[in-house]
Amino acid sequence: MGSIRVALAGNPNSGKTTLFNALTGRLERVGNWAGVTIEKKEGYVKKSLNKTDTQIMVVDLPGAYSMSPFTSEESIASDYVKNENPDVIINIVDATNLSRSLFFTTQLLELSIPVVIALNKSDLTRKKKTKINVDRLSELLGCPVIETVSTKSRDNGLEELVYKVVEVKGNAQIAPFDAEEVDMSDKSSVEASDKKRYEFVKGIVSQVENRQISSSAQTIQDSIDRILANKWLGIPIFAVVMWVVFSISQTYVGPFLADIFVGWIDLFYAWVERLIGEGASPVLTSILLDGIIGGVGAVVGFLPLIMLLFFLLALLEDCGYMARVAVVMDPFFKKVGLSGKSIIPMILGTGCAIPGVMATRTIKNDRQRRTTAMLTPFMPCGAKLPVIALFSGAFFNDAAWVGTLMYFVGIAIIVVGALLVSRITGEKYSRSFFIMELPEYKFPSIKRAVVSMLSRAKAFIIKAGTIILLCNAAVQIMQTFNWKFQVVAEGAENTSILASIATPFAILLIPLGFGVWQLAAASITGFIAKENVVGTIAVLYGITNFIDTEELSLVSDGASVAGILGLSSVAALAYLMFNLFTPPCFAAIGAMNAEMESKKWLLGAIAFQFGMGYTVAFITYQVGTLITTGSFGIAFIPGLIIVSMIIGCIAFLVKKGNERAEKNLALSV
Amino acid sequence: MESVIMSRVFNRKKRLDASVMNLAQANINTEYVIKDIRTKDREFKNFLFTLGCYPGEKVTVISALAENYVISLKDAKYCIDKDLAKAIII
Repeated sequence: MGSIRVALAGNPNSGKTTLFNALTGRLERVGNWAGVTIEKKEGYVKKSLNKTDTQIMVVDLPGAYSMSPFTSEESIASDYVKNENPDVIINIVDATNLSRSLFFTTQLLELSIPVVIALNKSDLTRKKKTKINVDRLSELLGCPVIETVSTKSRDNGLEELVYKVVEVKGNAQIAPFDAEEVDMSDKSSVEASDKKRYEFVKGIVSQVENRQISSSAQTIQDSIDRILANKWLGIPIFAVVMWVVFSISQTYVGPFLADIFVGWIDLFYAWVERLIGEGASPVLTSILLDGIIGGVGAVVGFLPLIMLLFFLLALLEDCGYMARVAVVMDPFFKKVGLSGKSIIPMILGTGCAIPGVMATRTIKNDRQRRTTAMLTPFMPCGAKLPVIALFSGAFFNDAAWVGTLMYFVGIAIIVVGALLVSRITGEKYSRSFFIMELPEYKFPSIKRAVVSMLSRAKAFIIKAGTIILLCNAAVQIMQTFNWKFQVVAEGAENTSILASIATPFAILLIPLGFGVWQLAAASITGFIAKENVVGTIAVLYGITNFIDTEELSLVSDGASVAGILGLSSVAALAYLMFNLFTPPCFAAIGAMNAEMESKKWLLGAIAFQFGMGYTVAFITYQVGTLITTGSFGIAFIPGLIIVSMIIGCIAFLVKKGNERAEKNLALSV
Repeated sequence: MESVIMSRVFNRKKRLDASVMNLAQANINTEYVIKDIRTKDREFKNFLFTLGCYPGEKVTVISALAENYVISLKDAKYCIDKDLAKAIII
């Protein structure tokens, strides 16, 4: 009984994390594009695959093209294999692209650590009528080669892989390519040596690979690309795709599932109510029933909807479409000083802003990285979905366009924000190259989408049972008592602790159309977790659940919820946008702090997010009210003053930035 | 005098430039051999090298999409922007 450490190394999108998940039974995030993994992850090989008595710890590393790192995630991979001395390296080689993958392989073989090659995606080569002589490859490289299909759950070569790993442990690894002593400081000799290495790889590939279809030939995939990533059609198609996702999850199937689910919550509520009985203190009963079960229930009620949405998003990611979205967005991003690399954090941000912000560390340019970290939280994340669902249900009859619109407003804000930041920092003249591997389209794996959905659901429930539960209890207590710890009398709700804290903020919100302390309090709790907006509204307005079990609609009798909240549709939309586009939750702000590595940037980012949320909500409410009623909404002038101050501030910074840019330009000429 | 020489040098350079093509001017579906990568960004050049994008390698433009180009290089397809396409001399 011993234990060994195995590192998984290979090119981006060769399937390392999929293999890692298959080996360990973990549920790390995967996506059909390069660069999803940005940190190393560790786990033990599960018993069903490991028939030996050795415990095997696997370390999943970010993808790398070579041992000389270009990006920070590449350096994580090369540093680990160089410095941490793993017992064995599993080199995942994408069987569909031997000639590129083996370049890195030959470098790994020079580390004197035994290497086992997992020839992954071997099902795809068969489909392409490419034959690879595995035995010959193994012979030429001097290490075992195992064909694997890590996306399959059976007959996937993993057991054999694990067996080989244990077998080669402690063996000496002989490098097949003799890289003569190279003077690393001399660039031309390094280049010459690397070229020789590529020649060596070419020699191997020509001996083992029998390709019938040239990879540069036009395929149906390329025709699909020409439509999906078309200059004019790309964005409309993306809009339609998002609209379909929202209509399935929110208008059609979602409410049906939510309906059944909320029935259970109602039963639970009634059961607890009976359990407590008549005798208990009414204050405690109300904290438990209305505060905890009501508030948490209101949030959890949206669980089926969120699960469905994540299921659909996972299918989209898995089929390879998201990489095309990045291609479509790249020209817009480039015009505002960001690159296509900024899109990946934003796509990850649709799940949760925290991994999205963390993914910005793959961007080398400081300004681009900080700008992306600052703007990623504008993408509506999973926690914001219940808020969107609540408002589109209560005020807009479950229309799928509301959710779709929120995504596109988010993208628009990102583009405008990036433009402003590039002007403020005075770096509008800097440019960068964009290159991104286009993964092949494939039929999305239902199993993986289910796995992704369940792990989201788990995280959501844990959050609901901890942070949101505590917040709702606190909100209920703070609205029940006044500062003298007396129970607030009916009709005197304005004297409660919560009301007195939230009222000053509410005054600022009057020009936005929702200046009542209840909604201000909901927005404030939203900074702890965005789902709290829904929970707090439920608690403060005494709505136990939004989803009606009688009618098949997402929000019980939208008009009645709308009536209780006392907002016009326009004000509701403004409130929704305010909550989506102000700063994210504290956890995401923490992630921003870590990636920006600058307090100045962090404070600037938070101020910017506040200003943006306020301005967008102001314009939505006032212009919307002007259109629907023919006159501006309440407190137009004070609001205009605040917004003018925000815009003036930004204009001043832009002007200063421009001056700096001119000066830099003058210096460089 | 100096300016005459300078202008000659530059003119000569211009004429040279006209004779070379970059990937942005390439015909679709035609295989080309990369002659040079023109960028001052050494690190990026090295990165392109690890992808197999270096003088002597073959490259094919598959299609032009939304101001970007899809190229086939060493059995993989990449999307690159126009600036990068202009830097790849064929």
